[in-house]
Amino acid sequence: MKKVKIKKDQSAYFWFFSFFALILLFFFGITSPYLGVYWLFGILFGFVLQKSRFCFVAAFRDPIIAGSTSLFRAVLVAMAIMTVSFTLIQYNAIQGGAIAIPGRISPVGVHTIAGGFIFGIGMVIAGGCATGTLMRIGEGFLMQGIVLVGFLIGTLWGAWDYPWWERVFISKSPTVHLAQYFGWTGAVLFQLVLIAVLYYIAKKYDDQNNILL
Amino acid sequence: MAEVRLDCLFEACPIPLIKTMQRLKVLNQGDVLIVETDHSCATKNITEWVGKQKLLCQVVEVSNGEWEIYIKKVR
Repeated sequence: MKKVKIKKDQSAYFWFFSFFALILLFFFGITSPYLGVYWLFGILFGFVLQKSRFCFVAAFRDPIIAGSTSLFRAVLVAMAIMTVSFTLIQYNAIQGGAIAIPGRISPVGVHTIAGGFIFGIGMVIAGGCATGTLMRIGEGFLMQGIVLVGFLIGTLWGAWDYPWWERVFISKSPTVHLAQYFGWTGAVLFQLVLIAVLYYIAKKYDDQNNILL
Repeated sequence: MAEVRLDCLFEACPIPLIKTMQRLKVLNQGDVLIVETDHSCATKNITEWVGKQKLLCQVVEVSNGEWEIYIKKVR
């Protein structure tokens, strides 16, 4: 058995960076209230991601390679919470007299499938999606630094090619907002039932599949 | 009762898990596999998978950001 090395005490770093983050929060806050909120949410998201080991790549990869759907089900739970809370935000905004529905409601079509497929291949090879990569760099897993460089190049390239996709696919695709078809209550119920069915299938899949390579 | 070390340092998911699966398959009953990894997510998905196989497993953080996963092939 390998001897356990004496671990370095890292609490000094923790206090230093927490203090630094608080100073930045103050400066962002006096520049614009939104910047301060973004900064605070960014830090809290990073904390939750690191502590929970929440990984979107594993959520969609592990069902296939290991027969485990625990993270996939976590994504479903997150989507269920998101469905209810975003509907509340959007409903209140519309009742309050907003003209456009808040949130990023984008056209859906062939480009969604193509983009998802390419992103899926990339994230499994790289071992992390955007959030996972950033979280692991912060954690000290240096291999993901290479991924970050690739990620930046890919993002810039994507922005470069975006007008073509916009012209050929996106402008011709329909924008779907379920509330327009089912009403607000119907849309929430429809989506929650769909998530519940997926959750049930995922649980069954997890119980039945015991993949041993 | 052999003790086998598996070097998965600097490997990202899912390579540690796949290497663990392949190595465990060729081990005999009662052997102990020690997976060395520095990928925090590997400790999570390997322990989950090993638990599902009903094998014994323990994670030790040997250094800052470096883990050893002890897996006993009990069956």
